[in-house]
Parts: sequence; structure tokens; C-alpha cells
Amino acid sequence: MMVRIAVQQHSKFMMIPHPPSFVPRVLALTAALFVGASSVWAQLAPVPVPSPAPAPAAVPAPPAPVPVVPSPQAAPAPADGEAIFSAIVRVENQSWEPNYRVPWNSGGTGGGVGTGFLIAPNRFLTNAHVVSDSRLLYVKKVDDPKPYEAEIVHIAHDCDLALLALKDPSAFETVRPLRLGGVPLLNSTVIAVGYPIGGQRISVTRGVVSRIDFQSFAHSGVDFHLAIQVDAAINPGNSGGPVIQEGTVVGVAFQGYSGDVAQSTGFMIPVPVIHRFLEDVRDGTYDHYPDLAIAHFNLQNPAQRKALNLPNDGIGVMVSSADSAGSAGGLLQMGDIIVAMDGFPVSSDGFVNMLGSRVNMNEIVERKYVGNIVKLRVIRGGKAMDLDITLKRFLPYLIQANQYDQKPQYVVFAGLLFQPVDRNMMAAHGVSNLNVRYLFNFFSQDEVYKERPQIVVLTDILPDEINTHFDLFRQQAVDEINGKKIRSLKDVHEALQNPAPPGGFHVIRFLGEGRPMVIEASRVAAANQRVAEKYNVTEDHRIGDSVMAQ
Amino acid sequence: MFFTPMIPRFFRLATGFTVGCALLLTSCLDKEIAFKFNLGGGPSTTAATSVVRVHATNQGYNFVRPWEKLEASRRSGLGPLVAGGRVLVTAELVVDHTYIELELPDTGEKTPAKVVGLDYEANLALLEPIDEKKKTEFFSRMQPLELDLSAVPGDRLEVWQLEDNGTPASTDGTVIQVGVGRYFVDGSFFLNYVLRGSLQYRTSSFTLPVIKEGRLAGLLLSYDSKEQTSDVLPAPIIEHFLKDLADGTYAGFPNLGLSYAPTLDEQLRKYAKLDGLEGGIYVRRVSRDGAAQQAGIQADDIILEIDGHPIDSRGNYDHPKYGKLNFSHLVRGDAQVGQKVPVKVHRKDQELTVSLELTRKPPTAYYIDPYMFDRGPRFKILGGLIFQELTLPYLKAWGDQWVNRAPFKLVHAHANQELLEEKEGGKLVILSAVVLTPATVGYEQIGNIQVTKVNGQAIRSIKDLNAAFAKPTNGVHKIEFDDFPKVIYLDARMAEAVNEQFGSRLGIKTLERLD
Repeated sequence: MMVRIAVQQHSKFMMIPHPPSFVPRVLALTAALFVGASSVWAQLAPVPVPSPAPAPAAVPAPPAPVPVVPSPQAAPAPADGEAIFSAIVRVENQSWEPNYRVPWNSGGTGGGVGTGFLIAPNRFLTNAHVVSDSRLLYVKKVDDPKPYEAEIVHIAHDCDLALLALKDPSAFETVRPLRLGGVPLLNSTVIAVGYPIGGQRISVTRGVVSRIDFQSFAHSGVDFHLAIQVDAAINPGNSGGPVIQEGTVVGVAFQGYSGDVAQSTGFMIPVPVIHRFLEDVRDGTYDHYPDLAIAHFNLQNPAQRKALNLPNDGIGVMVSSADSAGSAGGLLQMGDIIVAMDGFPVSSDGFVNMLGSRVNMNEIVERKYVGNIVKLRVIRGGKAMDLDITLKRFLPYLIQANQYDQKPQYVVFAGLLFQPVDRNMMAAHGVSNLNVRYLFNFFSQDEVYKERPQIVVLTDILPDEINTHFDLFRQQAVDEINGKKIRSLKDVHEALQNPAPPGGFHVIRFLGEGRPMVIEASRVAAANQRVAEKYNVTEDHRIGDSVMAQ
Repeated sequence: MFFTPMIPRFFRLATGFTVGCALLLTSCLDKEIAFKFNLGGGPSTTAATSVVRVHATNQGYNFVRPWEKLEASRRSGLGPLVAGGRVLVTAELVVDHTYIELELPDTGEKTPAKVVGLDYEANLALLEPIDEKKKTEFFSRMQPLELDLSAVPGDRLEVWQLEDNGTPASTDGTVIQVGVGRYFVDGSFFLNYVLRGSLQYRTSSFTLPVIKEGRLAGLLLSYDSKEQTSDVLPAPIIEHFLKDLADGTYAGFPNLGLSYAPTLDEQLRKYAKLDGLEGGIYVRRVSRDGAAQQAGIQADDIILEIDGHPIDSRGNYDHPKYGKLNFSHLVRGDAQVGQKVPVKVHRKDQELTVSLELTRKPPTAYYIDPYMFDRGPRFKILGGLIFQELTLPYLKAWGDQWVNRAPFKLVHAHANQELLEEKEGGKLVILSAVVLTPATVGYEQIGNIQVTKVNGQAIRSIKDLNAAFAKPTNGVHKIEFDDFPKVIYLDARMAEAVNEQFGSRLGIKTLERLD
């Protein structure tokens, strides 16, 4: 299964066991059912993407000529060799791991090692997963034992890239940044450089470009972007390191399959995705990938075309849903036929001919930024019309994404632990309740978020005399409290703060459960105190934003 | 607990049995002698005089490929002879039967048999020889068993078995508990005896008679070899079944149509103003058109008494013979369809007594059939689209882990079927799969989605499909779903042409089963 070629664990030589077997299966399902929900369609044909223009201004061109350490070579860019190694750093992450089962605890600490490389003065590129959940970051230069403290400038969990800066950049002032190249040809040779398992010093492996295709990005678990497969060994610790061809960077090594699934299949993030990230952060903030958030159905059946009065020209796909929280919500309707996107005719399988290649039409959106416009020509009710759709980020799908750099939200009340549904919580508690699983799995597809932007679940009970008969409510979703519909964890907290609810009882109704949970308000204060002391609940709540408000 | 079906354990035992046979045989002959001494003053019946071997061939339908049947398998049990030349077995023994044979224990003489009474919920079946003449002749040297309704906890019962050569064997066991447990199909909770005593594997052990003083006290349902306990389907349920059959029209066992929660929680009792009262169960939900709803019982009511028996806060009443027993026995195992039962209910501040007429909801009346035997699932194939009515056996075709493996939305629909039933009624019709044909090009990836409309007409049963498919627009059918891709179109003439070729090209001869 797909795992992040992540950070090498200090203690054991293993790939990070981040729900690996879980990830691809969910992705496959999501993709098959709701093609538009994630950032890119799942089943994409190999897409040769033309290399974009030279590095955008976000990456200032390397000042030339620059003395390169240790080799005296100057421009032109050095071939694969020692010169580039001084720009390739070992990234050490002291991380913090949130505890979703005991959310008031500060969580465990961990650590790992990955790779990064200088791409501009005091700007190091690496993978988001190398520096996620970080408390403290150190960068080490080749053949220099001194750790240099670093901080994250930008982090993009949706494309697994991050940009670091050193607090004191002086040690790298003379190091020449690596240059970004283009998309390498199939079967051309590349080297991967980094600090993978097997030793402390820098490592180089060599191989060829095996495939250029869209892949799911295991870090978030829900995003799909262009990626390049290479057969150069890419191992834990290589993450974030450059893959180099003829002296320029053609990708960032980031994930692979564990050996029991497939051999010699490592993946790198290619230059178009890197450029897009660098361009996005140019204004100082990362705006994420936008998404049309529609599901479309191919129009390849003659009966479809006849019923929809379409000529038999192989053009057009049908919109089967346009998510109301997405860019096209309220603009596209179920049954609309998309015949062109940004002027490119859309064929009946959802592909367009762009710059000489046949690519999925979503590739057009993939190259754009939040706030950009995509022009659609659609046929609705037999009439052609043009729609300008302003692209925005699609938030509901985040509920199914791995979340990082966040503290778990919760409310503890009378020994009852309430937590909002997200992927981290679902995994930590192994929630099997069918209603909760439905709300989680179909949060975006069935627009659950309209009624419940945040789904709150009774995940655990800290036993106390006040809750001794409540076991049947475990893992159920809260529907209403004291007559008020619950739309967020904040609603739960506020409703339960009332010291004198009607009749002296807090009445909590759970979804699909006929028997209410009833708590005598007069007993709550004492119970809260007992629970806090016995179970060392240091804070009775932590409430943040829902994914819909991020 | 240990609702282990009989088959796996006994079959597992069977593999190693031949080797240890001689040894086991000796020990059970000893028991046989002991048993004869035990007989006392009861009727002089033994497994040799009152039991036949019943061999059934079972072959269920394939719920995923509904035009096919699954591989046939065989089960054998011992069926006690009861009055009227009939043999009693569990329904599970003869489920989906294609052929049934009765075999005399001593001579090995066999005769084909048919089912004359069947209840999958009570897990009972009554058999008789197909040949009219054999009805008396075949059993001429045998003696029918009478029922014993008296067994209570502490009683010693015998489990009858037969050696391969027809010699009777008997094993003692003690009734350690009488309660309410699950029988065969989901939701079938009935009276059962728990018997402690170790049993040995012998052939024809799928169903075994359990005897008290020469009379039939029950049928053995399952044996847990680790705990050395058996579940026994008791005579009171058998009596209900036989009496019901005797009048010619079988009404079955009633159900109440509600789900409940205990009221042990003091806070709930205070909130529901139950202070000063004892016991009572909380009504979580009433099923549409069920007996409870018809009688006016509502969710959030608290049931205090049924038929004059106070119900305690766990849902038990005091049975004169068995002690604490779940109230369901009062309205199901020990009750008749059509019987009127007074139910005392606490609602808000008042108490009221309603007269509840017991009814039975047949499996076919559910939004999603909870079980389906002896018949194939309803389906229709058109042009390569395969439509079915969703049933629980369809979901269970995904194996033991079906809750996690079957299509999630359908599993979720099953878990919430009472709510959906109220909203939609009828049956849940799905497009189960698509066979790639010239008519279904582009549709091969879709399946397991609910069909809502065909040609504009709402679909509530597989039969609705035929009426709806009679009215295409401009030669094209429009089929709508609740999920992606929401709508597809099918060329009517091409679909018919494809249907005509289905038999010759794919070997599928049956293209629909509407009833």
C-alpha cells in the first residue's frame, strides 16, 4: 500500500505507519463515487505535462556567478556531482503527535528525518509531511555537524510541499541554490539524493523515469495530482529530497509503495506542481488548490446523446451533481452538458486536447489558483450558454483528509467525551456506528454539512456515577440538546453550559436513537469535579473551527 | 453468548471422527445402559422407536447472480415422530430444500418426504412421506412422541442420537437456564432452554430430539463444545407451532413492532416521572403499522404491564415456571396472532391501558426482506442492466464481514429501514450491476445504487419496472437514481434486442423473476 516515504524514525527503520492500508482503498472509493470531490479525478490517463516557463519570480534566479562550496565550479549548472550536495540538507523534525483518544493530554512526541534543498536564498523546499506537527526543526548541511534551527515559511498539505527558512542563514550564504528543470522524458535517467535509512551521510540512487501519471497523495489522503514514478530507490528519509537530471531538479521524492506491494516504485512531485506551489505563496499566503467540486458522467452511450438531443460528435459530459459549497454550486445544475472548458472542447470521456496532449479536463482547473475564472460552455435545456466560474477551495472534503498541526477539539461534560468527526478522530476511536460512518463518508457527497457543519459524536465515557447507564449511547452522533439542533461542537458546549435547563434536566438526543440521555443538572458540577480529578482532565474543552470554517 | 450454528462445529468434529470411533462407541454404550435404567415410569420410547433420520439436500439462490442457484449441500438430522405420521425437525435443516428423505434407523429403509408446515422464525418444520400409502406403513413399527411442556431449570433431559448401526444413544444434560434467545433468522427471539452436558459427534446430528421422561421436551439447536452447553428449542414453542398448523391456516407467531430500552437509569426515571413506580421499559421506536402503533403506543412511552404482568426495568416479567423472563415471550412465543392483550402505559403524567391486538409482520412486508428462502430474489434484466429488490440475503452475500464489505449506502439503508419505510414504503429497488452490452456502453462502472424513477414513474417494487418500461420517450428509457450518476438513458429497441441474445451469448435464460 501507498505510504509516505517519510521521515525516517529515530528508533526503528520503518516507513511511517500512517494508516497505510486504509488510504488507497478510501481514495478509490471516493474517486469512483464522486469524481469531482477531490482535487483531481482519480482515473486519469498518463498526462505528459509540458514544462512550464522558467522559475517564477517567487524563486529569484540564483545570483550568478556564485562561489559554490566545495567545488569551485561556477555556471553552467554542474552535472550530477558533489557541487550540488552542499545545497541538499538533512531535515530533522521533533514532532508532536496529538492524542485523539485522550485529547486533553499534550500528546506524544516523535521525531524523524527527511531531506530538503536550497532553491533560493534562505528558502529550502521539502515535503509537508517531513515537517508536519513540528515542534522544533533543525537542518544539517552535508559534512557539517552543526544543526541549524529552521522554521516553516509555507506548508501545503494538499500537495505535500513546504518551504523552510533558517533563523540564521549565514551558513548557506555561499551555497548555490539548485535550479528547477522541466518534466523529464520517460525512460531518461535521474538520480535521487537525500538522507534515507542505511546510514548518516548523504545517499545517491539512480534510475529512470518509469511513468508520468496522476497519483493520490498519501499525506492528505484525499488529493490527486500529477506525480512521476521512478525506479531509483526512494526510501524513508529520501522524502523532500531532490530528484536530479543534468544538474537541475526535476522533482521532489515523496512517496512509494512498501516492498510487499510493489518493487522499485518511488514517486516524486514534478516541477509543474512545485511551480504552482511557489507561485501560490508568492503573495505571502498559501491559498490551496481550488476545485470545481462537480461530479460528471461520461456521455458515451448513444441513447444518452439521443435523449439529450446532442449531435453524435463525441463532445460533452453530463453534470450529475454540483456541490453547493463548491465553486460551481448554484451555477451548474444536474443535467447540464459541459461542451467546452476555457475554449477547449470537452470530449465525451471528459478529456481535452491541450498543448498537443489529451488530458483530463480537470487539468485545466489543476493549473489555476483560487480566485481564477474557468470558462464553461454548457448546454442546458437544449440551449448553449457560457458560464464564468470563479474558483474556490472545496472545504467539505477536508473532513476525510489527514489533519496536521491541529490540536484535537473536544468537550468533556459529566464524564462524557464529545468530539467532532474528522478522519483523525474516526481512526483513533475506530468508530463503527453506521450512522456516524454515513455522515463521515457522505459529508460532501450528500451535503451533510448544510445541516451539520460539524458532526459531534459521544466518543468515550469516563465512568462515573452520573453516567453509569449511558453505555448504549457510545459512538452515537448528537442530534439535539435541550431542544436545540446541534450544528457544531460549540453548540454542544454552549447548550451544556446552561446551569438550569428546562425541568432541571439536560436532555440529549442522539441520531437514530429513540431513548434520550437525561442528566440532572444539579448533579453536574460535582460530577465534573470528580471526573476532572480522577481522570486528570486538565481542560474540559478545546473548541476550534470546523473544516467548513477553515 | 453461544449462538453457534450446529453445522460448523459438528462438521469440524466429523473430519477426525472415524479414527476415534471405536473408543467413543464403547463409552456411549455404557451410557445407553445407564439411560435405560433412568427411564422410570415414562412411555417406553427410544430413539429406535420414535425417531427417523432426515436427510435434506439444500440449495439456495445466488442473490448476486439472481438467475442462478448456488451449489447444493446436504444436512442430516434426527426428527422425532409426532402424532399423525409426521416428523418434526428444525426449519434450518430443510431450508431451501430440493429433496428430503426419511430413513428408518434400524432397517435403513428410505422414503422421500415433503414439508407440510414451516416457520423460519420459530425454526420449525413438519414433514411427511410424499407417498400417501407410506404415511401409516412407513412408521408402522414406530411410536409417536408426545410433548413434555414441564421442563424447568434443574431438570435432567436426554439428548437422543443414533449410532451408525441404528443403535440408540442418549446423553444426559441439565437445564441450567430458561431464557429468550435467537433461533435461526435475524430477529427471531424465542424461548430456549440452555442444557449443560457434553455431546459427542454422531452422524445425523444437525437436529436432535431432547427428551424428558420419554416425551419430547425440545429440539437441539446448537452445541457449544467449549462451554459444553446446548441451546434447545423447547416444547412450548413446538406446541404453539403444531396447534397453529392443526386448524389448516397457519398464522405464525406475532410481533409487537417496537424497540425498547431499560429504565434502570435513575435520572431517566425521574425525568419520565416514574418516581414511586416500579419497573417499566422505555419505548424507543414503534414500527409503522405494527401492533404497538395500531394500539396507539408511542415512542417515549413507558410500558409498565403486559397482560397483567408487571414488566421490570430490564424488560423481564415473573414467569410462574421459569422466573425472570424477557417480556417478548408474552407477546410472541406464548401468544397468538389476533389475541388482544391489555398493555399498561405511562405517558408523561398519566397512566393508561390500551388494548393491543397482536399481529404478525411477514418478511415480505418489510422494506428490505429480512430473509428469503425456498425462492429466488426478484429481479429484472433489461439490455444488460440488472435490477433487484434489496434483501438482507443480498447484503449477506458479501460474507461474514458484510457490514463492512457490502456497498455502504445499502448497508446504511438496511440499518435505517424503519425510517425509510415510513418515508417511502414498498421495496428498495436497486440497479445491482451492469453487464456490458451494446445498450449499456459507458455504464459498466455503475451499480448498487437505488433506482428512484423509470420514465418518470416512481419505482417501489420490481413489478413497477415493467409498467414503467412500457413507456419510453422517443424510443429511449430514462432511469433515475438517488446517487451518482443520477440519470442514465437506455435505447428501448436495442435493450430488447440485447435481451433476446442474452440466453445464447451469456447463458442467462431467465431474465426476470417478478413474483
